[in-house]
Amino acid sequence: MNKTCYSLLAILLLNNNLLFPTTAISEDRIDFNRDIKPLFSETCYTCHGPDKNTRETDLRLDTEESVFAELDSGTHGIVKGKPEESEVYLRLTSKDSDMVMPPEDAEKKLAPKQIKLIKQWIVQGAEWKGHWSYTKPVRPEIPKPATIPADGNEIDAFIQQRLLKEGLTPSKRATKEKLIRRVTLDLTGLPPTLKEIDAFLNDNSPGSYEKLVDRLLDSKHYGEQQARFWLDVARYGDTHGLHLDNERSMWPYRDWVISSFNKNDPFDEFTINQLAGDLLPKPSQEQLIASGYNRCNVSTSEGGSINEEVRVRYAIDRVETLGITWLAISFNCTVCHDHKYDPISQKEFYQLFAFYSNIDEKPMDGNALLPPPSIQVPTKDQKTKLDGLNKQIASAKTELQKKIDGLGYKDPGDNQKTKFETLKEYVWIDDSIPAGAVPVTEGKPDKWEFVSAPDHPVYSGKKSVRRSGKGRVQQYFTKATTPLLVSEDDVFFTHVYIDPADPPHELMLQFYDTDWQHRCYWGRDIVQFGATGTPTRLPMGKIPEAGKWVRLEVTAKQVGIPDGTLINGWALTQVEGTVYWDKSGINSKYQQGPKEYESQKAWELAVANIKKSNIPKPILVAIKKETKKRSTKEKKDIHNYFLTKINKKTQKTLKPQLDKVAQLKKKITELNKHIPNTLVMKEKMDPTTETFILTRGEYDKQGEKVTAGIPSNVGSVKIDGPPTRLTLAKWIVHPDHPLTARVTMNRIWQQYFGTGIVKTAEDFGSQGEWPSHPKLLDWLAVEFIESGWDVKHMHKLIVMSSTYQQTSNIKPEHIEKDPFNRLLARGPRYRLDAEMLRDNALAISGLLKNKMGGRGVSPYQPLGIWKEVGYTSSNTANYKQSHGDDLYRRSIYTFWKRTSPPPTMITFDAPSREACSARRARTNTPLQALILMNETQYIEAARILAERLMKEAGDSPEDKIIHGFRICTGRIPNDKEISIIKDIFKQQLEEYKNSPEAAKKLLNVGEAKSDKSLDTTELAAWTMVANLLLNLDETVTKN
Amino acid sequence: MDPRIERQLLETRRHFFGKSAAGIGTAALASLLNPTLFADDKPNKISEPHGVMNAFHHAPTAKRVIYLFMAGAPSQIDLLDYKPKLNEMFDKELPDSIRKGQRITTMTSGQSRLPIAPSAFKFKQHGKAGTWVSELLPHTAKMVDDLCVIKTVNTEAINHDPAITYIQTGSQLPGRPSMGAWLSYGLGKSTEELPSFVVLHSTWSAKRDAQALYSRLWGSGWLPSEHQGVSLRSKGDPVLYLSNPDGVSAKVRRNMLDGLSKLNQEEFAQTGDPEINTRIAQYEMAYKMQTSVPELTDISKEPKHILDMYGPDVHKKGTFAANCLQARRLAERGVRFTQIFIRGWDQHGNLPRDIRLQCKDVDQGSAALIQDLKQRGMLDDTLVIWGGEFGRTVYCQGTLTKTQYGRDHHPRCFSIWMAGGGIKPGMVYGETDDFSYNVIENPIHFHDLNTTILHCLGINHEKLTYRFQGRDFRLTDIHGNLIKDILV
Repeated sequence: MNKTCYSLLAILLLNNNLLFPTTAISEDRIDFNRDIKPLFSETCYTCHGPDKNTRETDLRLDTEESVFAELDSGTHGIVKGKPEESEVYLRLTSKDSDMVMPPEDAEKKLAPKQIKLIKQWIVQGAEWKGHWSYTKPVRPEIPKPATIPADGNEIDAFIQQRLLKEGLTPSKRATKEKLIRRVTLDLTGLPPTLKEIDAFLNDNSPGSYEKLVDRLLDSKHYGEQQARFWLDVARYGDTHGLHLDNERSMWPYRDWVISSFNKNDPFDEFTINQLAGDLLPKPSQEQLIASGYNRCNVSTSEGGSINEEVRVRYAIDRVETLGITWLAISFNCTVCHDHKYDPISQKEFYQLFAFYSNIDEKPMDGNALLPPPSIQVPTKDQKTKLDGLNKQIASAKTELQKKIDGLGYKDPGDNQKTKFETLKEYVWIDDSIPAGAVPVTEGKPDKWEFVSAPDHPVYSGKKSVRRSGKGRVQQYFTKATTPLLVSEDDVFFTHVYIDPADPPHELMLQFYDTDWQHRCYWGRDIVQFGATGTPTRLPMGKIPEAGKWVRLEVTAKQVGIPDGTLINGWALTQVEGTVYWDKSGINSKYQQGPKEYESQKAWELAVANIKKSNIPKPILVAIKKETKKRSTKEKKDIHNYFLTKINKKTQKTLKPQLDKVAQLKKKITELNKHIPNTLVMKEKMDPTTETFILTRGEYDKQGEKVTAGIPSNVGSVKIDGPPTRLTLAKWIVHPDHPLTARVTMNRIWQQYFGTGIVKTAEDFGSQGEWPSHPKLLDWLAVEFIESGWDVKHMHKLIVMSSTYQQTSNIKPEHIEKDPFNRLLARGPRYRLDAEMLRDNALAISGLLKNKMGGRGVSPYQPLGIWKEVGYTSSNTANYKQSHGDDLYRRSIYTFWKRTSPPPTMITFDAPSREACSARRARTNTPLQALILMNETQYIEAARILAERLMKEAGDSPEDKIIHGFRICTGRIPNDKEISIIKDIFKQQLEEYKNSPEAAKKLLNVGEAKSDKSLDTTELAAWTMVANLLLNLDETVTKN
Repeated sequence: MDPRIERQLLETRRHFFGKSAAGIGTAALASLLNPTLFADDKPNKISEPHGVMNAFHHAPTAKRVIYLFMAGAPSQIDLLDYKPKLNEMFDKELPDSIRKGQRITTMTSGQSRLPIAPSAFKFKQHGKAGTWVSELLPHTAKMVDDLCVIKTVNTEAINHDPAITYIQTGSQLPGRPSMGAWLSYGLGKSTEELPSFVVLHSTWSAKRDAQALYSRLWGSGWLPSEHQGVSLRSKGDPVLYLSNPDGVSAKVRRNMLDGLSKLNQEEFAQTGDPEINTRIAQYEMAYKMQTSVPELTDISKEPKHILDMYGPDVHKKGTFAANCLQARRLAERGVRFTQIFIRGWDQHGNLPRDIRLQCKDVDQGSAALIQDLKQRGMLDDTLVIWGGEFGRTVYCQGTLTKTQYGRDHHPRCFSIWMAGGGIKPGMVYGETDDFSYNVIENPIHFHDLNTTILHCLGINHEKLTYRFQGRDFRLTDIHGNLIKDILV
């Protein structure tokens, strides 16, 4: 028996179109779109469809023109009313193996029933219709004989018409407890509180349900719930998504989506802001944040990647995502060739691609938090502060300038000799590191260990530096205020003492100019920086003798340091062992130490001879120009720089003004640290990147050149405007656009009923599923557009329908006729989504924190999940769990690492957010059971819920059980349910009485403090009752 | 689900639950839900699939797969693709006639020279087939007569993230289901008490900075999430959230589940939703896993000679050797697809040192796995695969000496081995040029490899499809040819 069952199931699953069988055979009138086109598309379009490259004959079955035209053979594909004269029908029924279609070796065949259907259609006159979803929706008549129920609206007329036809009747209204729970969960993602339930139960006024709905639509949680669905299609995440998968800052975009839903921005604006907010005239901060939608794609900075290949991938992803989100068109096929089923050519794909060709963005994201373009997003308060500080600093600078201008500086002339004839010793490190130098050990800020005699050997002064350790040991500093100015002939020196009891394998010196590329070593070649035998890793010979002070020397030339280089960092490196270092410096032709220039000319001359310097680049460049070639501004900048940064005398005079500026700068830097930033979209100033059709989608196989353009066969909206994303966005939200409103309404419908009117929410093309209620979808789409794209209005319409308000109880005839509830003779009933499950538990327990927005937070997660997979040096390789309130925020604020998303989310079918996802699967697995049974957050929630039962309810176990059951499910349990739970409570109490230690342990799960005033044994037993309640099918289900 | 089946099941369940006392027997419940599950206890008999496929496309030769994934891409030139002529070409430029202007990564495309780096390691012929194996793999060398070495696997991707995503999901971009997920979707669950697709992560010995892995590599893409691979972890809970929290004994958990089951049955009686029965069953399975998984990961009853075979690492949780033993235990318990990942093969510099360490990590364990399966008569229907996401270049990256070199990414040929499950043993397949740069005979695209793996499991890769966005997707995208030559 079961084997047969499974084969039936397999057939059904294999053919999506059959999953929701049409009723064509039983009806008189065949509808081309509903009944015939899917057959053609599935079986014939590969050779007789839109793709010119795989089309095998002139006969196309996807255009009206071709189907009825005379063929080369003199026959016609289809002759209206005459199957026996229609080549298509003759071929389908031919017994000749050379003639029959599909060919004998074809994988996809038509069943006799399906051929009969085609015949019937021809007999009926072969009425041709353009693809349904590419034709502008027109508001349909409200169907008769169905009537609009008193407690419903137009939606119900469409639903009931179909039910009548199928011999089903609508179910009665759900109980008020179930209704308030259903609608609260649907509109806000949270369960109703007991207070809210009671208020609704006690409100017997006729408009009580509508009042409830209005309250929920006004709740700030409405936006959080709606945003969740949108962020799935936008593929929002908190990391780059590829390779290193570092953090990146996009959360202001997430918060914008939430607030946009809450403000009920019209959907056309919502769309334009995201697709092209940056291109609007004088875009607001909000519009720029919204344009970050375009930056949500995964990005990489993997070493060795080829920029163009990566750039092309981003653009493809952006077009594909746009296709699924607004058009439900799959562009996936058209990357490589013309679409096989839908009227989109490969060329048209690359015309859409061209809209994304001129983005001012580097393909390599640099693993940065803010790969440009990005903007600062200050709060109102921060903005005020920042503006204030900027004003102050501007006036402080004016003040300073005034003072500078008043100095009347006159160049006293050069009195400093800059280069000696012979080398002169200059000690840089002795008893301390140079002024300003920042010491580091193994990548971490750490002081050098200076030790003194008699416990340690010291060569010079009072101290020496001691280093000891395992493996490679490095200590270094950079940023010395006064760098060494080095000539090629100069000699670096240091003194070392090797502990004879613990000699190292290798000693290395490294010098820092603008990077660490000058090294030499003594002993074994173990440290693998640079290339051996070159100035980046020069062998100097054996390890020095142990037990005595040895002077090590290397010339600047040997380690590749050219004349005029400034060295401001030095590293002493060793492998294993214990080493003392002392007196280090340089024998130099230059005068070392701070030079006090009073002459600007002399300073300029010295600077001009220097190859590398820490002077800001624009000033350095200006100094290197001949004086007469400098602009007035450059002259002034150089002069100011000299007087404020170099000349000690003038610096002193200017001190009050300089201090003021510095102080303000510091304040601004400090404030900036707290101001968030977010990625945005930006076009390049000069559009230079050309777009080509890429053969087979390969980035380096450029074909015909194309320019940005809109697909010509998707509806008939023509839009004028420059070839920008803004024009594209305007096309998408044009009121005559056939897809946008339908696609959006379909996804909204899906939120409430689990499945869209078109089940394939991501595909409205020929291969997509035929709508269960095509006219209803059109009605909703037109209503949506005509309401001014009023999203809340549409949500309200749906939840106000009596269809939505039906009980979800399932009767045998439902299972027989409509197992998947597509016809909606009953209300929706299915498991809560991942985020809702967690938020529900948090809300029920009372742990939920309602703080909105901000950087993602990190609730409980078992140790090591990120580390197991993460790139070792990724800044998301180690999970840093949040504490305090951040453990209890709504799941939409959970930090989302895309290569390793939260297991409590993806196990419950949340997508990884690496790619656009228009609908989630809904599975039921043992791993899910384990999470709800054992995960810290759920156990903690059970603990705190148990405290609520003990504190809020009456003394009897029954009172507590009823209270808990109501909090979780919204309803009062029946006697049988109470008695089952009571038995469990008794059993658990028994267990914990016998094991008080276990009770204590249980009450320690999670960071929320346990109420010490409650009896631990009893609380533990109630915790396990609460755990049971939180796991109830009814608790985890919307019903 | 088809309404008729659903109703039949529903009726049966109703009946079942109506009469059953508390504590439903899991086995009974499971077999009720899926009668084919426990038919798989006889050796050499492969039960019919019960996923989207209800019958094999052809007779399978393998029941299960163990895939040893060398993440980061091991150097074929130093392991399995012996190139003696290179020794005379030390530090000579790679001839243009060989490179043929092929693209190379931007890590070496800026190098002024592409000097040839011969392997620093000795090769010897082993086994009846005389298979050349490097001295780095002494244990593997002993097993060559059970292996089929393929030297000509190739891919288009030249960077790790796209390449490993490509080989695991058939696409370089994230979003598609992994191979293990496809198998679960196609063939259904292979065991009730354990996941059908298990992933193990190994510790490694080469430099710490290793290429990342991504959960998409064992993810379900747009397939339902029940098909995604489950990590069997060496630290903490072996399966996430498996253990009851502190202070919850098995008895307390059982009490809770009994109550839950009763209340859910009550809920079912009130609402008639068959999904509730599925949920009841899932909880029972979760409970069952709480005992079956610890039993699985407890190797204390393994005899000493078996542990010795896997080497000393087997005693350290999370090592590759320990994971190989775990894989065998999983195979015995009906897990269909086990994938062991070990990172650390991305040796751009310091290759001789690091590859030695990595080989020490994997050699004995993988050889022992073959031997262990063989002695249990399981190698015949277990397909074992060893390989990475691409190969490494013959030319050196960075400093070149006879004993010190690095190698960049090379997608045009790399070596893997396969064993058991219908693959010809003692065979070397495909030939590369003297530089291990181009394929000169029998190129095997990794899509062909995936085609062949599916084939061994009784699946025609063109027929296992899933419609998404209007297109029938499959693991091998629009590619894939069966490698008939290597089939028994």
